[in-house]
Amino acid sequence: MHKTILFALVILSGLSAGALAANQVIHQQGRVFSSESVTIKKGGALTFVNDDSIPHNVMSATKGSEFNLGSQAPGMSTDVTFKETGDVQVICAIHPRMKMMVKVTD
Amino acid sequence: MSGFFPRRSTLLATAIVAAGLGAIGFASISLGAVIVGETRRIDLGQKAAPGMDAMKTQYKRPATIPFPKENPYTPEKAALGKQLYFDTRLSVSMAQSCASCHSPGFGWGDGLAVGVGHGMAKLGRHSPTIVNAAWGEIFMWDGRLATLEEQALGPIQAPGEMNMPLEQLMSRLTSIAEYKPLFAAAFPGEGMSAKTLAKAIATYERTVVSERAPFDAWIEGNEKAISEEAKRGFAVFNGKGLCSACHEGWNFTNDGFQDIGLPSKDIGRGEFVPGVIKMQHAFKTPGLREIERRSPYMHDGSLATLEAVVEHYDHGGVDRPSRSDLMKPLGLTAQEKSDLVTFMKTLTSNLSPTAVPVLPR
Ligand SMILES: [Cu+2]
Repeated sequence: MHKTILFALVILSGLSAGALAANQVIHQQGRVFSSESVTIKKGGALTFVNDDSIPHNVMSATKGSEFNLGSQAPGMSTDVTFKETGDVQVICAIHPRMKMMVKVTD
Repeated sequence: MSGFFPRRSTLLATAIVAAGLGAIGFASISLGAVIVGETRRIDLGQKAAPGMDAMKTQYKRPATIPFPKENPYTPEKAALGKQLYFDTRLSVSMAQSCASCHSPGFGWGDGLAVGVGHGMAKLGRHSPTIVNAAWGEIFMWDGRLATLEEQALGPIQAPGEMNMPLEQLMSRLTSIAEYKPLFAAAFPGEGMSAKTLAKAIATYERTVVSERAPFDAWIEGNEKAISEEAKRGFAVFNGKGLCSACHEGWNFTNDGFQDIGLPSKDIGRGEFVPGVIKMQHAFKTPGLREIERRSPYMHDGSLATLEAVVEHYDHGGVDRPSRSDLMKPLGLTAQEKSDLVTFMKTLTSNLSPTAVPVLPR
């Protein structure tokens, strides 16, 4: 029980830090990620904004860093926090030309 | 400032949910290296719909064919590739060539609902055209192959298609004396291999480009090149019909994957991206050049005419979780539907006949 609470606090503080700091914003207008490659500090977050006119589906299949935002409608914004160092390939499941690399550093 | 406080309480809720999940399986859910926060709505402001001239700028034909730097164009390679493309000896039965299913006579498809493979057995999906494959980002209806070079070897080896193991193929081609010098000229120092065979076929396929159609003349400024009905159809295509959300640019595709609500059981792209709901029943958006010559339509060949295709989109298809959020009843009028079809027919070019090459013996 004690462990679970501690873990929850770790997540909470991690998310808060990510939320309070100005995240780098990744735009998707014109079916393209606004950056081909970004470098962020471990524990930092990116904000994926769908400022395009159609839905996108941001995700990663990189081992250990898998995530899937699902269908993200235009006008929606989602923060994604990266907790481990390494390269994470982020793609749009729908549009194969949409690819970017997130380099998570210490 | 005040915005922070509601945020914080939702974050707290997120953390509690995360902790709760811990009890039932942290390892697979919360211990990953990536945490997805909540999604919120932001204000994108009002964007004015683009006018006709702005829309038209999106559809200009490219001036040159892109060839990858790993496999640049040479006339020798393209000529060899053309011979291989039309050579039935690439199939184990010696009865089928690439051109059997991707024939210039049918807009580089086969005119059938679904392809026919080894032993005349029906395949699961409609044979896609190879027109404008040079611009393709990913290949096959389900995107399982990354390059046109890989694609070229796929159907040759597939047991259901040409059923020809590559080793057997190379030994058969080696026994055809006239192939050797052609490979030597196309691939100096490399010679005959499955790799060079794939490069030659891919190079030839990249030269198969839809020729200028009335639509191109209109885009370039000749107002008389297409009818007023077609111009209205183009406006519906880019507006109320939402067609250009996927069929975009001069080749009318962004190579994206969408479930458009066809009742077929085939899960398409979903086989390769099992965890992503929107990829179930999703297939690659085909380009629309020469579309009038490419019936029947859709990945399963289930719709016979362009009119039926427009009806399908107007209706929106099967409503299921995987269906694209862009698929919904459109409420098109009979006039708008007919204008759309008229517009699509302006994408038919005056294709010059393709000469079948004399094959090596
Ligand atoms: Cu996308």
